Amino acid sequence: MKLDRRSFLKGAGASTAGCALVATLPGTLAAFEQQSLKPVGSEVNSICEMCSTRCPISARVINGKNVSILGNAAAKSFGGAVCARGGAGHSLLYDPQRLVKPLKRVGERGEGQWQEIEWHEAYQLIAEKLNGIKQKYGAESVAFSSKSGSQHKYLFHLAHAFGSPNTFTHASTCPGAYKYAASAMYGGGVKRDLGGAKYIINFGHNLYEGINMSETRGLMKAQTKGKAKLVVFEPRFSIVADKADKWYPIKPGTDIAVALSLCHVLINDNLYDHDFVEKYVAGFDEFADEVKQYTPEWAERICEVPAADIRRIAHELAAAAPHALVDYGHRTTFTPEEFELRRALYAANVLIGNLERKGGLFFAKKAKTYNQFAGDDAAPTLGKPGVDGMPTITAKRIDQVDQQFAMTWSKGGVYQSILDAALESKPYQLKGWVISRSNPMQTMTDRARVVEAMKQMEFVVCCDLYVSESAAYADVILPESTYLERDEEIFDKSSKSPAYYVRQRVVETIGDTRPSWQIWQQIGHALGLGKFFPWETMESLQLVQTKKDAKLLQEIKRQGYISYGVPLLLREPSYVAKFQATHSKARVADEDGSYASALKFKTPSGKIELSSTKIETMAPGRGVIRYREVTLKQPNQLFFIQGKVAVHTNGATHNVPYLANLMNDNAVWINPITAGHMGIKSGDKIRLYNDTGEEHGVALVTPGIRPDTVFAYMGFGSKNKELARAYGRGVHCGNLLPHVISPVTGMSLHTAGVSVAKA
Amino acid sequence: MTKRYVMVHDENKCIGCQACNVACRSENSTPDAVTRIQVRIEGPHGHYPDLHFKYHRVSCQQCENAPCVEVCPTGAAYVGDDGIISINKDKCVGCQYCIAACPYKVRFINPETRVPDKCDFCKHSRLAEGKQPACVSVCPTDALTFGDANDPSSDVAQLLDTRIHFQDKAHLGTKPRVYRIPGKRGGINQ
Repeated sequence: MKLDRRSFLKGAGASTAGCALVATLPGTLAAFEQQSLKPVGSEVNSICEMCSTRCPISARVINGKNVSILGNAAAKSFGGAVCARGGAGHSLLYDPQRLVKPLKRVGERGEGQWQEIEWHEAYQLIAEKLNGIKQKYGAESVAFSSKSGSQHKYLFHLAHAFGSPNTFTHASTCPGAYKYAASAMYGGGVKRDLGGAKYIINFGHNLYEGINMSETRGLMKAQTKGKAKLVVFEPRFSIVADKADKWYPIKPGTDIAVALSLCHVLINDNLYDHDFVEKYVAGFDEFADEVKQYTPEWAERICEVPAADIRRIAHELAAAAPHALVDYGHRTTFTPEEFELRRALYAANVLIGNLERKGGLFFAKKAKTYNQFAGDDAAPTLGKPGVDGMPTITAKRIDQVDQQFAMTWSKGGVYQSILDAALESKPYQLKGWVISRSNPMQTMTDRARVVEAMKQMEFVVCCDLYVSESAAYADVILPESTYLERDEEIFDKSSKSPAYYVRQRVVETIGDTRPSWQIWQQIGHALGLGKFFPWETMESLQLVQTKKDAKLLQEIKRQGYISYGVPLLLREPSYVAKFQATHSKARVADEDGSYASALKFKTPSGKIELSSTKIETMAPGRGVIRYREVTLKQPNQLFFIQGKVAVHTNGATHNVPYLANLMNDNAVWINPITAGHMGIKSGDKIRLYNDTGEEHGVALVTPGIRPDTVFAYMGFGSKNKELARAYGRGVHCGNLLPHVISPVTGMSLHTAGVSVAKA
Repeated sequence: MTKRYVMVHDENKCIGCQACNVACRSENSTPDAVTRIQVRIEGPHGHYPDLHFKYHRVSCQQCENAPCVEVCPTGAAYVGDDGIISINKDKCVGCQYCIAACPYKVRFINPETRVPDKCDFCKHSRLAEGKQPACVSVCPTDALTFGDANDPSSDVAQLLDTRIHFQDKAHLGTKPRVYRIPGKRGGINQ
């Protein structure tokens, strides 16, 4: 080192960052020698995995030590943008706390005693244990759960081959309700054309913090270019509330009252789209009859939003229709009445006839559908690998005892029922649990119960990047390669027109990790189920997808993201005209210049079902959308609500270095009036407690929250030392949320009553 | 001066998401302990329920009258002919006068190079390749606009012609080249 004045002064701003600050845990990158990053290409187009949106990215390696991640500019609705989480991806690669070797538990479960093992030993152990459980208790006594998305189907394929029906995604702890409600009403999932809307009503769907790039950009586009009006109902002053034209600090859990009341005004004041309802809607009369009683005055008493405002907003919504929408939200499991809330929000959209209109809701146009309208092969369709002789499973799913959850069985199930089965043998005993990139210890309610369920399992396997809170209770932890080190299959990203994109490795693998699709395949072989895994490599699977069209595969890989054709909205004549101009053999338009006559719904009646006999059969009393009073807290308690922050994702990113540096604690928002009564100031240590648990945190006294409510960003307060940057920092929300399963959707509950005291 | 590069930060569009902060960090290999740019969400200000946040970009202002350049004894801190303030690390003796002189407190010693560091609009990385600065290209809501204010047809020139804007600590006479469009309720719709 050159000893000049600059070197001499180096202490002034020196950083300790980059050093491993924790005692080295076996299997982590800290225990290995660091190498430089070996880039796979000069610029690789791939897919992000820092949250579930999975934006198209473009990444390159700088000087062999740094990965720079930007958005893929070819994906127009994503605008070449990437959020802080996406940009932080590479700090995962070199994180000394990241797991790069399989681990075997050597102490008591959850005690944190680990031993590094080789992959073949891990597979052998897993095969021995799982086959042992299968012989003793039946294959169905092993549950398989995964965060839904790119890799879950490989795990579920293994589950199927193994013979267990018990496969679960995180849907019931996050996005399930709005999907099931759409399925019940529209016969399938719908998307939001936020960018084209002139008027948007938003119930706490905080797209400016819970960033979903194309939707976040769409909302901003509507507000800037479209000059759309945005009305936000949310108990907390979030960023989306700040950016709204009007914010209503609604009482927690009462959104449904506003939604139903909007429907009441639309029908009562004759503002709804009669033609649309007549042509496409079933069960309108029953619904209209039910909402007669839900006046704005009735809603005001429940939700504390002025009746005159609700009435005015309904009129403004109708005036902007059909280029307007009521956002049906995302992870907003406010109350056990989730199903009714989501349906009520969709109902308001149905009444203004915004389906397949600009600025409204629409169905994704995948290649098959799009090509039918185009009359030619506008976009290629993907092939699927066929596997012969998969076992027929006769055992019932553990959540299949209750018919009301029928919609969830094939789409993720009721995740929390794993705990009921493990702890109460309901409907039968689970003995094993295989978890992939899912962190129920953070994302489920009643953390103590998750610990109990884990402890009574005979065998638990976890596949993750870190020793997550849940992985800490496993018998074997399998280190997955990060998304920057993985090749994966081609994914459908269709929106108004078909689109595909593909994940490709940006750098060569660091340490001894493997992609999870390969892990499940190799475990399949170890279990003696190799014949059900006919693909050798990811490339061979991709070629099955492109039907052996190597040129197409190369093109998708080169561009990373390809969209085909022009946007199509079936009831928007200008879109149809452009579509016809693009595709010479396109379907002939209706008299009004639209494709309205082609609109189909996969419901029993073939129409949008505002009221449903199918649901009435599944869950008696729930055929018609109805308000039911719920008790979310005791009179002497405060409402406890949670939300997303722009720099973290649920229970997954709190230990990622860049992101932990940006935010590693979640102060509890408390209104100055409420705090004043308790003598609490900002920065004071406080205690939150209820029948479920107790948490210690720090107070943030702010007017940005209702006086009867406290708020915390979710995902903090890890209780396992392995996550050194997140351990013991902030409030662990799941430890304060009671175990309640919502009817029909099976959702967990995210609003609770808590008492707050100075610690 | 041939070019006059400026940055316009529309605080109405900014959501404080820190995408700019992270993109800058990875593009410029900024060590963990220091930061070239961040956006501070301040507030909420006002009285419940009439509230608003402020979104405050904290980064080098590329001052026309730059105190850091004036105090530098060796000429290591200099203004390029594009108006961007840069640092010649070979001339730097590490006296830290520039850090003390900066009224915006955005200069720091890079713990790896031990040279003062700060935002330079990605001059030596992206700008040299004809690309926009990293923060501008990743911004999810297009809150940042960058370009040559000497070119009247540029986006920045047009924004500055049509929108009310201000500069941070303008009373000091430093003439910053980072402009702010102040946020207000309903301000997005302008």
